[in-house]
Amino acid sequence: MKSPVFVIAGYVLREAASRKFIMAFMVGLTLVLATVALSLKLEVVDGALAATRLFGEVMRSNIMSVDVALRPIYRAAAYLVFYGGILFGIVACSDFAPGLLSPGRIEHLLALPLQRWHLLAGTFLGVMTLALGGTVYAAGGLTLIFGVKTGYWTAGPLIAGGLACVGFAAVYAVMLTTATLVRSAALCSAAGFVLLVGGILAGFRADVSRYLESGFGRTAFDAVTLVLPRLSALASRAADLASSTPMEKGSLGMLLGGVLVFGLGALSVGFWHFEGKDC
Amino acid sequence: MDSRGRRRVWLVGALLLFAGGAVLMFTGQGDTPAAEAPDVEFPRRMKGSDLERAEKRRTWVMPAVVDAGVAAPVKPRDPLLAALPRGPGRTAVVIEANALRYSPVGELLMDCLLRDGGKNLEQFKAMSGVDPLQDLDRLVVTDEGVILSGDFSKAKYQELLGERVSSDYGAGARVYEPGDTTFALPDGGTQRGRMDTSVGTWNNQMLVFGKSPDSVKTVLDRMDGRGQEEGPPLLDENSTYGEMYGVLAVETLAKLLGPGQEELARRLTDVAQNVELHLDTSGDVAMVANVTGLDAEKMTDLGKSLGGALSMARMKAQAEGKEDLAQLLDFAKVRPDGSSFKLELAVPLATLQEQLAWCREERQAAERARSTP
Amino acid sequence: MDLHVPAGSAFGLIGPNGAGKTTFIKSVLGIVRPTAGTVRVLGGSPEDPAIRARIGYLPERLHLPGTWKSPAFLATVARLKGLKPDAAAHARLLERVGLADAVDRRIGGYSKGMRQRLGLAAALLGDPALLVLDEPTDGIDPMGRLEVRRILQEEVQKGVTLFLNSHLLAETERVCDRVAILADGRVLREGRLEELAKAGARWRVRFAPGADRAALEAAGFMAVADPARGARPGGDARADMAPASGGREDGVYTVDAADVAVLNAALDRARASGALLMELRREGADLEAVLVGAVGGGPGVAA
Repeated sequence: MKSPVFVIAGYVLREAASRKFIMAFMVGLTLVLATVALSLKLEVVDGALAATRLFGEVMRSNIMSVDVALRPIYRAAAYLVFYGGILFGIVACSDFAPGLLSPGRIEHLLALPLQRWHLLAGTFLGVMTLALGGTVYAAGGLTLIFGVKTGYWTAGPLIAGGLACVGFAAVYAVMLTTATLVRSAALCSAAGFVLLVGGILAGFRADVSRYLESGFGRTAFDAVTLVLPRLSALASRAADLASSTPMEKGSLGMLLGGVLVFGLGALSVGFWHFEGKDC
Repeated sequence: MDSRGRRRVWLVGALLLFAGGAVLMFTGQGDTPAAEAPDVEFPRRMKGSDLERAEKRRTWVMPAVVDAGVAAPVKPRDPLLAALPRGPGRTAVVIEANALRYSPVGELLMDCLLRDGGKNLEQFKAMSGVDPLQDLDRLVVTDEGVILSGDFSKAKYQELLGERVSSDYGAGARVYEPGDTTFALPDGGTQRGRMDTSVGTWNNQMLVFGKSPDSVKTVLDRMDGRGQEEGPPLLDENSTYGEMYGVLAVETLAKLLGPGQEELARRLTDVAQNVELHLDTSGDVAMVANVTGLDAEKMTDLGKSLGGALSMARMKAQAEGKEDLAQLLDFAKVRPDGSSFKLELAVPLATLQEQLAWCREERQAAERARSTP
Repeated sequence: MDLHVPAGSAFGLIGPNGAGKTTFIKSVLGIVRPTAGTVRVLGGSPEDPAIRARIGYLPERLHLPGTWKSPAFLATVARLKGLKPDAAAHARLLERVGLADAVDRRIGGYSKGMRQRLGLAAALLGDPALLVLDEPTDGIDPMGRLEVRRILQEEVQKGVTLFLNSHLLAETERVCDRVAILADGRVLREGRLEELAKAGARWRVRFAPGADRAALEAAGFMAVADPARGARPGGDARADMAPASGGREDGVYTVDAADVAVLNAALDRARASGALLMELRREGADLEAVLVGAVGGGPGVAA
C-alpha cells in the first residue's frame, strides 16, 4: 500500500500541475530551450568549436576544444539553475504548505488515518519532486541541445542541478517549518529568501568574518553561519561540476551532506511544532 | 508513542541534525578563505613594464651623417633589435634571460640548473669571467646564430679566444674567427678545444656567435647601422613584450608540428606568412603565437584546422593519461582575427612547480652536501 | 464535559454559537488535543490512525481542490484512508450523493451544495463505523437535503453511528434519535429526543369567535394571550402565537389534560357554554423549545 507521504506528495504535485504560473514557467523554459536549439548553430572541427552562429549571425569567438568552450556556458547555466531555481522555487512553492494547512482542508486531512508528520513530509517530497523535475528538464535540455550540436556529452550540468535541488531542499524545509508557525505564503517566501541570503553569506563566512570587528558581532556571525547551509559554496561546486573544472579544496560529499542534514533538521523542527499544534 | 513523545523525538532529532550538519559543512568546506584563482594572463600587448624596459634599451645613437649641413635628429634605438635579421622567412627568438631568471618559473629553472649545488656554474664563471645569472640580459637565437646581450666587461676574452685570429670591426667591435679555445680548469690545469663558430664582441655589451666571420660582421653592421636595409628588423620595439618573444619562419613552425601533422604543416606553409611568438612567465607560463597571412578566408580555415588539431591532441592526451599535456592543451585556443589568428597556450605555474619539484629537492640535497665538510 | 454516544445511534449536537461544538468534534478526531481529560472514540484514542480510519468526517467549511475532478479527489482520499481506489465504487458513491452528472466537471465549478455532497461522499468512503458530520446540508437545496437525510438514515440503519452537528434543528430532529445540548463548553442536557422534548399534557384549542372567555376560563381553558403562560421568551414569537390581546380576538386557548377523557370533559364544558370548536392540536416541546429552555434564550442562540 502506498505510504501516505507519497499520496500527499502526489496531492501537492497535482495541485502544482494546476498552477498557471508553474505551467507558464515550464512553457517558457521549453521556449527558451527550443529557441536555443533552433537559433544556435555550432561548427565543430575535430572536437574544437570552430564557429558559432546565433540567429544566423557569426559570433566572434575563440576556436578551442568544445568542452573548454562550453565551460562558461555550463558554468553560467549552473549558477542560473542554482540561484534562479531557488528563487523561483521560493516564490512558486510558497503557498503549497499554507494552502494545505488552510482551514477546511487541514481538518479534513488530519481526520484521515495518517500521522501529522506525513503531511509535512509529503508536502516536502512533492515540492522536491517538482524542483527535481524542473531542474532535470532545464539542465537535461541544455545538455541535450549542446550534446547533439557538438557531440560533447557530460553529466556535469545534471549533477549541478542535483546540487541545486539539495540547496533548495534546505531552503524549502525552512519555508515549510515557517508555514506551521504562520499560515502565510508571504512569510514563507520571506523566510526562504532570508535563508538564501544567509546561506550565501555562510558560504563566504570566513571572508565576511574578517571584515567584522572582533567582539560579540563577529562571534554571533560566526556562530549563526556555522549552522546555516553554505549555499554559495554549494553553488560554486555546482558550477565547477557543470563546467568540468577542478573544484575548490574540501569534500563535496561532506558539504552536500551538511546542507541536506540542515534541511532535515529544519524539517524536524517543523514536525515538532506541527505535532503539538491545534488546527 | 503518543504525540508528546513524538515531539520530544523530533526536537532532539532536529538539534542533533543541526549539529551534524554544521560539522559536515565545516569539514566539507573548511574555514580558510578560498584563494582567488588568477586567470592566466596571455601576453597580447605591451604592458607598462615592457614599455619602460624598451625605453631603457634605446642606448645606441647611430653616428649622424654630416654632409648637407642639416643634421636630422637621430632617435636612439635598441642595438640588439637593430641586429636582428630582416626580411620574410627569417627566424629570431629573444629570451629575456634576466627577466626570466627572476620570474616564478625562472626560480624553478634555476633549481634545475643548479641542482648540482652550483658547481658547474662556478666553474663556468671562473673560466669565462661571466656570471650568466648576473651579467646576461638577453639571449637571441636566429637562423644566423646567437646573440648575447648584457655586461661582458669582465669576460676573459684573451684567455678564451686569445689564440684565434681576430680583428677589430668598427668602433668597440672585434670579430674572432673559428679556431682553438683554451679553457682554464679550476684545478689549475687547462683544456683545449676547437670551436667552429665565429665570435664577435660589441662594446662589452654584445657577444655574437655566427657560422662564419662574415655572418658575424653582418650582424655587427646592422648593430652599428651600416648594413644594407632590407626592410625593418624582424621585431620592432612594440613587440618586445613577454619573457620570450620572436618571429618564427612558418617553415620552422611547420617542422615543430611533429609527425602526423603533415597536412596541417603543408597548409601552414602555404597560407601563413609570419608567426610572432610571445611567452609570458610573470605568473603562469602563457604563450601567444600570432600567425598572419594574406587570405582571410584561408587563414580562418587554417585557424579552425589548428584548433581542431589541438582539440584532438588534447583528447588523445586525456585518453592516454598524459595529464601534463592535456593540461597544457586545456588552455589552448585559436583567436581568429581576419587575415591573422592568435594561438594561445598556457601551463599553470602550479603544474610546473609540481613537475619540477624534484629539481629543488636535488639542489637542496647538493647544497647540504657541499656545506658539510 | 462528559458525553456518551451509543454505537449505532444518530446523535445530534446542538448549542449556541461559541458553545464549543466544532472544537468538540475536532477533539473527537484528534485535530485538537484536550488540555485535560481523555477522548475515547470507537474504543481507542483518536490519535491512533487505525481508529481514525473508521471515522468519516465532513468538516464545516470543507476546502476542496478547485482544479480537480470529483473522481480524482475521491481516489486521493481513498488512498489517504489506506484504501485501494475503486473507480466503479467511487462512481456509485458519487451517484448516491447526487453528483453523477458532475463527475466530468472541475470541483471549482461546483455549487456550495455540490461541494457538500462531495464532502459527504468522501466521508462515506471506506464504510466508516462513525460518521462525524459538521453542517452536512449547509448550502444544499431542500430537495437535496431530503436526499442527504435519506442517505444518513440509510447509514444509521446499516449500523453506522452518526454524530451530527447542524444548525438546522429540524434536520437534527428528523435524523437524530439522541441529542446533546452544549453551551460554554458544557453539556447542558443529553438524552433521547422524545425524553428531552417530552410531550406535555397541554392542548391548543381554537374556538369560533364569540366564545365566552369567562366561561371557558371557568372550564379550565387559558387564553394564549396571557404573557405569563402563552408567549415565548426572548421575543421569538411565531406567527401563530398571538400577542397579549389576541387571545380574545382569535379564540386561541390552551388546556391541560392528563388524558383524553379529561380533555373531552373540558371540551364538553366549553361546548356547554356555547363555544364552538374550530381546531384542536396537541402542543409538544420541539427541539427549538428544548434548546431555548435549556440555554435560556437570548440573542445568539443557534445550533
